Amino acid sequence: MAKIRSFFLVLASLLLTSAAAPTLAAEPSFADYKYVLHISDMDPFKQELILNNASNLLDAYGPGQVEVEIVAYGPGLRLMFAENVNAKRIDSLSQSGVKFAACGNTLKGMTKLMGSEPKLTPVAKVVPGGIVRIGELVKQGYIYVKP
Amino acid sequence: MGDNNQFKRALISAACSMAFAAAGSAHAANWLMLQGTEDPASASRAEVWGFIQAKYEQDFSDANANGQYVPPKLLGPELDSQDGFNINRARIGVRGTGFPLDSKINYFALLEMGNNGITHGNGAFAKLTDASITLNHIPGARVRAGLFKTPGSEEALQAIHVFDYINFTEGANGLLNERFPNKGYSGANVGPFTEAQLQGGSKLNTFNSPVGAFRDVGVQVFDAFDIGNDWELSYAAMVGNGNGIEFSNSDGEYDKYLYLSAEKKLDGGKGGRAHGLKFFGWGQWGSRQLDITDDTTANAITYDRNRAGLGVKYLKKPFRVTAEYIKAEGMIWVGPDKPTFIFTNAANGDGRNADAYSWYVEGGWYIPNTKWEIDARFDTMTRLEGQPSQHRFDKWTLGVQYHFNPKTRVTFNYEIRDFECNSGNSAGPACGNPNTNLQGVGDKVGVQLTAIF
Repeated sequence: MAKIRSFFLVLASLLLTSAAAPTLAAEPSFADYKYVLHISDMDPFKQELILNNASNLLDAYGPGQVEVEIVAYGPGLRLMFAENVNAKRIDSLSQSGVKFAACGNTLKGMTKLMGSEPKLTPVAKVVPGGIVRIGELVKQGYIYVKP
Repeated sequence: MGDNNQFKRALISAACSMAFAAAGSAHAANWLMLQGTEDPASASRAEVWGFIQAKYEQDFSDANANGQYVPPKLLGPELDSQDGFNINRARIGVRGTGFPLDSKINYFALLEMGNNGITHGNGAFAKLTDASITLNHIPGARVRAGLFKTPGSEEALQAIHVFDYINFTEGANGLLNERFPNKGYSGANVGPFTEAQLQGGSKLNTFNSPVGAFRDVGVQVFDAFDIGNDWELSYAAMVGNGNGIEFSNSDGEYDKYLYLSAEKKLDGGKGGRAHGLKFFGWGQWGSRQLDITDDTTANAITYDRNRAGLGVKYLKKPFRVTAEYIKAEGMIWVGPDKPTFIFTNAANGDGRNADAYSWYVEGGWYIPNTKWEIDARFDTMTRLEGQPSQHRFDKWTLGVQYHFNPKTRVTFNYEIRDFECNSGNSAGPACGNPNTNLQGVGDKVGVQLTAIF
């Protein structure tokens, strides 16, 4: 009986996880260089700087040679708000292959604080935890950079 | 039918643009938006900023036949010398979105500590020039409340720290930068004074209140709409006390302001120097109280004060061209002379109810691949239009600027001035005395260092 209960608990947790907002899969990457860029503060200059970093990395390596993912949590999540003034640039970077991961924990906290969920740029994928995502990527061999 | 569909599409497109105008978009040098809003989702909680302007000026005007000076021959705001150093502006402010997660609310505050008409009037060490809150909740109708620049002339509305000359045009200074009548009547004649009298403490500038500084306290509804093809339409409607940077509405009447602009955004530039071609028109309607009877009874009468203008500005480096026309009705000051009450008397022009107009054309050339900029401006103001004491003030300003970096520059200006009472009978009773005093108004040179932080 205990085994059956455990099985259903595991199944339920798997279903809950998959029913949550779209998440970034741990896709295998064959790029020569992999970078995870981290933003967690609200400084608008940092927002520009991290996007500049991503652009420069794309420029520095040939197509397919570099993988870049920007992970935002805490106040840094404002970078991925749909109304951000850099929205067009974020969209353009996304089309060039840069991935954007938004912290689900931060999103929940902001939703509670503001009374409604902030609208994110469509290219941002919500991950359960921004800090966890960074850990996963580093484990996969990504170079961690916090501008 | 095709045309009709196209019209419908254009309407729908415009409506969508208006509905989503609150979303971030790059604005050209749109002062309504630059001063009244913040970049959504990226503004600071509190961005501290400001600027300092230090200048040296020398006025080469000569005294009249009696060795006396009038305001145009002296340096403000003291009006007691012809050359000297001054910290004419020293402002520090803070702006942002106090609660950064909610980019629908932003604020703007600025304090003036320089020596100019803002701080000189009431002897204040510092004076609040801006303190406003903007609510961006209603698409197409942002609401800004508090103390801020009124929507109007480009020269007045633009941020002063990117203004390309040391001094305003005669029209902006005489018709828009408002001087307010002192509350009490005083029959004491003020000037002209000799150098010895000025050095002995005689004052030409005895206004009790600060200048209006192109500002008012009130509420403004405004927004800007991207209508496609890089064109942006903006509007502003405001109601204010009509008392400049002072917080009162003693006459019980409110000033009304309207502003419209259409701007084609051009590639390049940033912030206040964003490239574009802008057409604009504006109007201000208000009233002022004035007691001109030489007695101890308070019997102020209300006079209209209306202003309107239109203009165009083109900026795409290396070139800049601006032209503006301003029309004024009522409350046409003679100048700081007899500042408690003086408007030209009824027989000579009745400045309380008279008309005036001004216009200017200016241009700049940013010399390619250098940090140098050359500027030139011609401005003219006709005061007491069509009256016996009609005056005309013509001024050429030739300028050179050197930009050490985008936030620090030095400005050299040379002004050539021709001021006269020109109603046709320049030696008659209405013009004789003014022209005696204006004779000798000469050139003026200035050097100003601007640092923005």
